[in-house]
Amino acid sequence: MTTTMLTLSHVSKTYHQPDGDITVLADVNLHLPAGKTAALLGESGSGKRTLLHLVAGLVKPDSGTIDIAGQRVTDFSESQWNTLRCQTLSLVFQQYHLVPTLSVLDNILLQARLAGRVDASLQQRLVDALGLGALLKRLPFQLSGGQQQRVAIARALMHQPRLILADEPTGNLDEATGQDVMRLFVELVQMTGSSLLMVTHSREMASYMDCRWQLHHGVISNVAALDTVDTGDTGSVTNHEG
Amino acid sequence: MKAETPRQFIWVLLTLLSHYRRHPGQALAMIVGLVTGVALWAAVQLINDHARASYAEADQLLGAEASAWIRAHDDSGVAPADYIELRRAGFSTVYPVIDVRLRSSSGSFITLVATDLLALPLLAGGGSTMANPFAAASWLPMIQPPYQAWYPSALARQLDIAPGQQLQLANGQALPPALIQTQAQQGQRIFMDVGAAMAVLQRRQFSYLAVGHLPPAEQQRLAASLPPHLQLVPNHQAIDLAQLTASLHTNLTAMGLLSFAVGLFIVFNAVRFSLLARQGSLTTLREMGVSTGLLGLAIVAESLLWALLGTGLGLLSGFLLSQQLLPAVATSMQSLFGASLGATVSLQPVQVLVAFSLTLAGVGLALAMPLWQRARTSIRHSRSAPAQWQQEHAGVKRMAAVALVLLLVAGLIYPQIDSVVAGFVVLGLVMFGGALLLPLLVQLSIAAVATLLPQRHWLLRWSVSDAVAQLPHLRIALMALLLTLTANIGVTTLVGSFRAALGDWLQTRLSANVYVQSNTLDLAALGQAQWLAYAAERFGSSQRWQDRPTTVRGLDVAAPDAQALLLAQGNPADLALWRQGDGEPQAILANEQVHFLGNQLLGSLVELQTATGLQTFKLVGFVHDYGNANFQFYLPNETLLKLWPQARREGVALWLQGDTQEQATAALLQAGAKPGEWLLQDEIKRVSFAIFDRTFAITAALNTLTLLVAGLALLAALLAVHQQRLPEYSHWRAMGVGFRQWFLIVALPLLLMIVVTLVLAVPLGLILSWLLIHDLNVIAFGWTMPLRWTWVPVWQLSGLTLVIVFATLAVAVLRVRQTLPDALKQLAGNEG
Ligand SMILES: Nc1ncnc2c1ncn2[C@@H]1O[C@H](COP(=O)(O)OP(=O)(O)O)[C@@H](O)[C@H]1O
Ligand SMILES: [Mg+2]
Repeated sequence: MTTTMLTLSHVSKTYHQPDGDITVLADVNLHLPAGKTAALLGESGSGKRTLLHLVAGLVKPDSGTIDIAGQRVTDFSESQWNTLRCQTLSLVFQQYHLVPTLSVLDNILLQARLAGRVDASLQQRLVDALGLGALLKRLPFQLSGGQQQRVAIARALMHQPRLILADEPTGNLDEATGQDVMRLFVELVQMTGSSLLMVTHSREMASYMDCRWQLHHGVISNVAALDTVDTGDTGSVTNHEG
Repeated sequence: MKAETPRQFIWVLLTLLSHYRRHPGQALAMIVGLVTGVALWAAVQLINDHARASYAEADQLLGAEASAWIRAHDDSGVAPADYIELRRAGFSTVYPVIDVRLRSSSGSFITLVATDLLALPLLAGGGSTMANPFAAASWLPMIQPPYQAWYPSALARQLDIAPGQQLQLANGQALPPALIQTQAQQGQRIFMDVGAAMAVLQRRQFSYLAVGHLPPAEQQRLAASLPPHLQLVPNHQAIDLAQLTASLHTNLTAMGLLSFAVGLFIVFNAVRFSLLARQGSLTTLREMGVSTGLLGLAIVAESLLWALLGTGLGLLSGFLLSQQLLPAVATSMQSLFGASLGATVSLQPVQVLVAFSLTLAGVGLALAMPLWQRARTSIRHSRSAPAQWQQEHAGVKRMAAVALVLLLVAGLIYPQIDSVVAGFVVLGLVMFGGALLLPLLVQLSIAAVATLLPQRHWLLRWSVSDAVAQLPHLRIALMALLLTLTANIGVTTLVGSFRAALGDWLQTRLSANVYVQSNTLDLAALGQAQWLAYAAERFGSSQRWQDRPTTVRGLDVAAPDAQALLLAQGNPADLALWRQGDGEPQAILANEQVHFLGNQLLGSLVELQTATGLQTFKLVGFVHDYGNANFQFYLPNETLLKLWPQARREGVALWLQGDTQEQATAALLQAGAKPGEWLLQDEIKRVSFAIFDRTFAITAALNTLTLLVAGLALLAALLAVHQQRLPEYSHWRAMGVGFRQWFLIVALPLLLMIVVTLVLAVPLGLILSWLLIHDLNVIAFGWTMPLRWTWVPVWQLSGLTLVIVFATLAVAVLRVRQTLPDALKQLAGNEG
């Protein structure tokens, strides 16, 4: 019996702009089981980042509810959000967002330290797996883009989050590097048992995930697996079309 | 969550502080800003406190609190016989003092104080609260030939006297061998034993007798037993000094606070840049669940660290600086008020505390505003530039609004100025109002230039748009620069006007060719000599009026200078009345100080203590009397001598017939004057200007130091701007923008901003000097003078500012060249 990590029920979001309203999400439902990985696909401007930001608590939904690890986060206070971000979530961005004045090692450990969860053996495994051993003393600007993203991934995993939210983490990398990073990322997520919701516009990258969802005109739908190995509950999406 | 807070706090703080490890330049800017601000302020504060302590100790200088003095009515001195008589009558706390001004052979004026060491109550075990500076030393060599003269080390340096050396006086005498010592609170004076001084200076009289503490009954008995030619005068010296010097100290405090403000501007700037550079990291931390409250706490902790560091280093350098500035201040005090300052300053715990609180408040203020802005923006928007930009824009308008309010308040307070502090409040309002107005003016100028430029000149248009980008980063430094330029122009105009007024005044006041002050000169012996055009004698009598030291002077009304007397206020008809010694009541003139500080008007009646009791006089005119802290009244000699028969002789002024100086000096020697007892007109003027310049040396020093601080502010700001814009510059470089084009794009806007700042500094400086001369100076010192505007300081300051700007640009160019490869790499890293 698998538990649910993330559930969105009837979530809607509309931006009000002078030139008209943009309904980005219209009554979206989805659920991601614990330990599973999901790709959120869609064209540019389809609302992928908005959905991710809703889950991260950076944007509030107009209606609907969101549950993360069994907690109803939709009516969380800011301090509850802070606790959740500190203990449960990790964010990975396209622009890496490393602290430029901290060394690679300090960057890797930053969120784990904040959460009080430094695990030396995990640290060793991550550093080895991501090939960062020789770079630990460097500063971020002394790294290539691929290396910086690997540091960001190490940082996200080091803190042992239950849910990782990634926003096009390979979007800044070239094809080959992106694939390398992505393979490592997914492997390590599976190794640590975290769940992953990743925004991407690349079906290639999405193929590494357990499930793939597509956003289009505010509506979410399943994408057929490219290499189908069904492993039980891989999550689901439904839409109430009207 | 609560249990996690301390651990989170540590890591957040370490993350924040890692910024300074990677950007030591910004750490340096913080430290420089804090240290210069605190140091200048602290130095002035230390000197002020030290001076006040010195006044309090002035009485105790000779080992006992002199509660009163015994003086001759005409101040001609007290004979040793009178002293011995009093000691015999049982007045054991009476001791003799010689207090004379001497001239060295090199022309410097020095004060010599001598007393009877054996008669000092303290040496005899009197319980003074002060440590007796002379107790520890052996006094035997002082009272035995060849005697000893004690010099404070600063004075010895000034006179170039080595231990054991004898100072040659202008009249051919020599002081005993020098003993140089630092600990004694003797001010800038030479100290000797009274017997030694009588022998060396060939004096037969003491200047006065000092009276130590006496119960009231004893004091009455003392007054009653004085011979008729002596009088008991209460000692007001400490109160007088504190009162007289208060406004000068306020002046110094204002300058100290200005430096502090300018230092704070640097800190503002540094904080701004460091927060801007760390904005991404702050957002990352918030994304990791760090609350804004905790972030705020960490930033407060960081400022606490800075405040501690800044205060510590600032106080230390302030302490060292005050030692350097002290001689200049001591000279000001001595020449303006005759007040002595001790040679060393000491740091009090209260001063440490005040400095720390001020710094903390300053850093807190510098951090509060940007922090508040950060806390208000949501995580999602805090990475986007436009939000930032809009805040900057709103900021400029808000500043201008505050500026208008400040200027309005200044305008409302202005008519009511009645104290030095109120005057400085108006000054502060005007200056800060002007500073806050500056960003808007710069913005408008940029807009104006933009509309004037030919549209097809792309480089110029780029340059204008770059000005818009630079302004938010530079405006604080520009405001600091404006403040300093304004203060500099204002103070330079004040000092220049004062010097010019003094020159004009000396021209009429010192029209005689030779001034003689001699007890042995027989004026009648000069007779109707060929070389002599006119000889005028002067008399004076001292008293207290409105609780301030006051002199009534007698003038020879027929003398050329009295004939040409220029009134600051009064009409010629009344002046004629005064010359005749007429008027009902008796007509009298006074210095301007009586008008402004004594609150008397033309036609006011004043009561003065004459030999026969109180008499009423009518004020018919006020004359300029620069540099005098005391009240002064003027009467014709005949009138004065009628009312004060025992008035002292204040010397003779001689007008010569043509170029007959040598004949005159030969005749003076024959008539009984000794060498060194006369001064030539040029000499007095030279000495007067020397005293004037030394008096204002402290002003010049503080002025230069604040300008230096502002230069540093500009340097720090420019370096930070360029550091931050390096990636942008790399972009341009990649697009093929050459070095010369880059320089034009970046330097032209900067020059435009500097020019606007300079242009605004001129009217502000003019307003400042107007306030200083017409209001503050009158309230503080009681004399008026015309404002003389010259463009010289403006050109000098413009030149200096441009040098600073180009120096910072040069440094920036070097930094850009040095760090460009790194920046290019970073850029490449971000994109590939
Ligand atoms: N803060 C906002 N205010 C108004 N409109 C927004 C805002 N954020 C995103 N949008 C709009 O919502 C739509 C979805 O944006 P986004 O979620 O970033 O899509 P994606 O990540 O798929 O590119 C776009 O049309 C975008 O213009
Ligand atoms: Mg997108």
